[in-house]
Parts: sequence; C-alpha cells; structure tokens
Amino acid sequence: MPKILVCYKWVLDEQDIRVNAADASLDFSRAKYKISDYDKNAIEEAVQLQESQGATIDAITFGGPAVKQSLKDLLSRGPDKVYYLADPAADKADGHVTAGVLAAAARTKGPYDLIICGEGSSDAYNQQVAPRMAARLGLPAITFVQSLKLEDGRIVATRKLGDCTEVVTIDGPAVVSVVPEINKPRIPSLKQVLAAAKKPSEEIKIADLGLTPAQLTPKTVSMTVKGFVMNRKNILFKEPAQADNVAKLVAALAKEGVC
Amino acid sequence: MSGILIFSENNATALELLTAGLGLKATMNQPLCAVALAEEDAAALAAAGADKVILLKGRDWPEGYAQPIAELAAKDLAAVILIGGTARGKDIAAKVADGLDAGLVTEAQTIEIVDDKLQTTRLKYGGLAVASEATVLPAVVTVAPRTFDKATAAGGQGQIISLDTADGDPRVKVSDLCPIERQGVDIAAAARIVCVGRGLSQKEDLALAEDLAKALTAEIGCTRGIAEDYHWLPVERYIGISGQKVKPEVYLSLGVSGQVQHVAGIRDSKIIVAVDSNEKAPIFEAADYGIVGDLYEVAPLLTAAFKK
Ligand SMILES: Cc1cc2nc3c(=O)[nH]c(=O)nc-3n(C[C@H](O)[C@H](O)[C@H](O)COP(=O)(O)OP(=O)(O)OC[C@H]3O[C@@H](n4cnc5c(N)ncnc54)[C@H](O)[C@@H]3O)c2cc1C
Repeated sequence: MPKILVCYKWVLDEQDIRVNAADASLDFSRAKYKISDYDKNAIEEAVQLQESQGATIDAITFGGPAVKQSLKDLLSRGPDKVYYLADPAADKADGHVTAGVLAAAARTKGPYDLIICGEGSSDAYNQQVAPRMAARLGLPAITFVQSLKLEDGRIVATRKLGDCTEVVTIDGPAVVSVVPEINKPRIPSLKQVLAAAKKPSEEIKIADLGLTPAQLTPKTVSMTVKGFVMNRKNILFKEPAQADNVAKLVAALAKEGVC
Repeated sequence: MSGILIFSENNATALELLTAGLGLKATMNQPLCAVALAEEDAAALAAAGADKVILLKGRDWPEGYAQPIAELAAKDLAAVILIGGTARGKDIAAKVADGLDAGLVTEAQTIEIVDDKLQTTRLKYGGLAVASEATVLPAVVTVAPRTFDKATAAGGQGQIISLDTADGDPRVKVSDLCPIERQGVDIAAAARIVCVGRGLSQKEDLALAEDLAKALTAEIGCTRGIAEDYHWLPVERYIGISGQKVKPEVYLSLGVSGQVQHVAGIRDSKIIVAVDSNEKAPIFEAADYGIVGDLYEVAPLLTAAFKK
C-alpha cells in the first residue's frame, strides 16, 4: 500500500490583515490562522489517492507554537496521522530552512512513496519547498502538477507550465507540488471532525533531526514588511438613479481622455 | 564569490534578466555570464551585452539542466544567479539554490547589492504587502516575466562556449508535450479591460459585459472564480496574483468584490473603474471611480453611453 506524506503550513489569513493607511504598517490583531489554501489542494489530492488506491497518509507541518491548533482541522480532512514541529524558529525560516527541516523529518518517519506539497504558501508564496525537499532527499521533483496518478510504483503527473502541459512519469518515489485547479477541497463533515479527535498526532523536535546550525540559519532575512497602499481617487457615484451615475462617470472619463 | 549568472529557457525573459543583470554589474563590477539552451538564444544574449554565454547541450528537459547550471555557478563562483520566473524557471531555481546551498528569493521586483548582501522586494500575503529582504551571497533570484524591459542588441561581443552535459535523471520520463491553445488575445497586453466577477449570475449574462467591452473597445477579463470554478471563460483571462497581471489604460469591473489576490493583478492600471452593488466592496478602495449599483442596470446604460 503506497505511503503518502502531505506537507502543509498554518498561516495567517490574509483576508483579516489590515493595512494602516497612515504608515502602511500591518495590523494582524484580527487575523486568524488557517491551513494555507494551496495546501488544502495537496491534502485533498492525497485523500483522493487514498480513496482510489488505499494509500496511508501522514501529514507534516513546521510552524510556530500556534501550529498545534491546526491538528484537528488537518486530521478532519482525511490524513491518518499528523507530525508537527512547533518551534519559534519557523517564524523566521526561509525555504532553505523549511525544506531542510521537512526533508529531515520525512527521512526519519519515512520512507514515503510520494510527498505532496501545495505550489506555494498563501502568505509568503516562496514556491520552493517541494523542489528543495526533493533535492535534499535525492528524489525527483514534479512541480505545478494539475493531475496525478499512481500506477504500480510509478507516478504519472501532468504539469501545467504557462504555455504548455507535459506528462512526467517517475519510477519510484518523488516529491510533487500541485496547483489549485487539480481538485476542489471538500469541507469536512461532522463525522470526519469527530473522527479527527481519535487520530494520532506526534510532535517532532527540531533538535532530534540532527541538523547543523548552518542548516537552521535562514539565508534570507526580512527587513521590513509594508502594506501596499493604493493611491486612487476613490470617487464614488451613488445617486439613486443609475442614469445620473453613468452620466457622471462618463463625464469624468471624458476628462481623463478615455472617451 | 563574484560574478552574475542569468538563465531563462524563454529567450524573451532571458533578455529581461540581462537588463537586471547589467544593472547589478554596474554596482558589482563583475562579469555577467548567461546560460542558454539554443544557439540563436546564445547569440542574442551575447549581442545584447552578456560577457560570456554558455550554451548547454545534452538534455531534452529544461528542468534537467538544474544540476549543470548549479555546477557552472559553483565553478564560476557566481554570487548572484538570476532565473526567469516561469514555472520551469522556478523549479530550476529551487534546485540550483539547493545545489549551491544558497537562499532563493521568488519573484523579486527590485534587486540590489548592498553591503555584500542581496536586497530585494517582493509581494507577500497575496499581494497585500511588500517585503524587503536581505539574502547572503551566493543568492538565487527568480524574476517574473515582464518585470524588466528587454536588453536591446548593442553589438556586444560576448564569447559563446558550448558545453555538453551528461544524461539527465534516468528515473524521469517526459512525454506528451502539449501547447495550451490561447483563446483570443493576451489580456496582459490589452489597453482596455472589462472584468467580470461572480456578481454575474449566469454564463449567458457575459453578453452584457461583451457589449460593454465592444463599446469601449476593450478585452474581457475575469476573476479566478469565473475561470477556475465556473469555467465560463478560459483561465488565461483571469486576473490576479495567480492569474494575469494587467496594466491597461482603463480597467472596468462588473461585480468584482476586489479581494487582495485579484487587486494585486490590476494595480498598474492607469484608471480603475468599478461597478458593484455593495458599497462596502473592497474594490472601491482600489478604484478611481465607482458606481454603487446593480450591474444588470448599470452595464447597459454604460454601453449605450460609450456607443455615443
Ligand atoms: C491563494 C489564493 C490565490 C488567489 N488568486 C486569485 C487571483 O489571481 N485572481 C482572482 O480574481 N482571485 C484570486 N483568488 C480568489 C480571491 O480571493 C477572491 O475569492 C476572488 O477574487 C473573488 O472573485 P469575485 O470578485 O468574482 O467574487 P466575489 O468575491 O463573490 O464578489 C462578487 C461581487 O459581486 C457583487 N455583486 C453581486 N451581484 C451583483 C450585481 N447584480 N450587480 C453588481 N454587483 C454585484 C458583490 O457585491 C460582490 O462584491 C485567490 C484566492 C486565494 C486564496
């Protein structure tokens, strides 16, 4: 029975982040965490393979102390077990550190026949964890996958590459990243949510992974993060009669030289 | 640790990287080497200002060149490796970065060397924010297509060196390469855009937007839901951080709420106009002009007005 590992990130929901117009600083006070949207597609794809092939699914996440809150949501989406690394180092981790931590953990808990990631995380969207993990594990990477099959120990994936698609067939294990259009993640049912409470989770400590300090030191550090402030005219026409609004808009556009 | 290396499997993008690379060369004062996979691309890069072009041969899958590129960069002691931010480029960049044990910045918008570090800016949180970051050298950076202008041929005399590489990974087989048929024009280049969102209740109502687009001589764009969930329009028409980035003279939306991931794709528009029934829709914060109203009432009136 194939053994699948699916990776996910517990991120702040960008819809809840406010930009303070005065100084472009970000206000996270109302922001809640969620499973990164792209990773929901990765999880769903693993579950669909499980349903069609009888695979077992482990999930893994590397995050700050808050990451423990994610376990129930994750398990209700179908995986059999979840490993988590809760460490403040995650808040400063770049792709180099994250891929190194996840690859080391996958090596300890594996081997896996297939490792699935989302195409990027919805917060930082660095789009490098899957291929970097593959490189660390000495496995082929198949990125931007829009359809995925397992056939007698082979992985057959169709990739979406901007101007073309191609089919990649791998003998043996691989790391793949999937694009959102690969599936539509289902909403967990009440039964699944209840079942999640009985599924196992296990903490992995970074210190037990045998990584060197250099492997845990980010190559990229953040200097500033500023909200994008839109500088637009924000002129709103809201008369009850739409004909008036349209006339005003057309006059304004005429002034701009548009029509 | 010294030089600059650039690579894209897409030659138009490679010439844009050359512009960025030449900018870095001016501060770093180091040679600029380009990697190409086709003879004519190598010649174009050499003519447009690369000091040296390595023409790599021997593999039939661009991603298979990640390892030879990493080896070249290591041998050349490249300090900054710029790679075109196509899907293939991002795959290659991650493997090159790992081969060099280097940091990788994805889709940088600005690139500088300051105090022996690479300083970049890029979008974060779905386009809501801009992050400035510093990366130790050597560093790999991907740059999205059309971020920089193409370097123009300047009668450069760059040397071209052919290099055969060993076979690729025997575990990987690539087949069924299939071009995606573009349906209609490239909206990234459109001068005017009418964009429809989920405020539209059924596919047939696209006719409303099409009439308006005709009156305004505009192309039709859409939000992700219209393309990816409803499949009413082809995916290359959807605008946003994961879709097309557009920069028309006029962008006019009908029933688009203006979530950050969509707005990230329209920010370079000269004039933004929005029609939405919800006065609180975030699109109005991103717009120059807005009409609060039912698009089914407003769109035909606009069409009639523009026809005049
Ligand atoms: C990781 C990620 C990446 C994403 N990338 C993109 C992307 O690249 N591009 C993109 O577009 N989206 C993207 N999205 C989705 C994005 O967050 C929004 O869900 C999407 O843009 C909303 O589309 P919409 O405006 O069409 O629909 P809605 O948000 O449902 O808005 C519909 C609007 O229509 C209005 N309306 C309804 N009826 C009428 C009427 N009769 N007349 C006038 N107005 C009416 C409503 O008031 C509302 O404002 C992404 C999401 C995620 C999580």
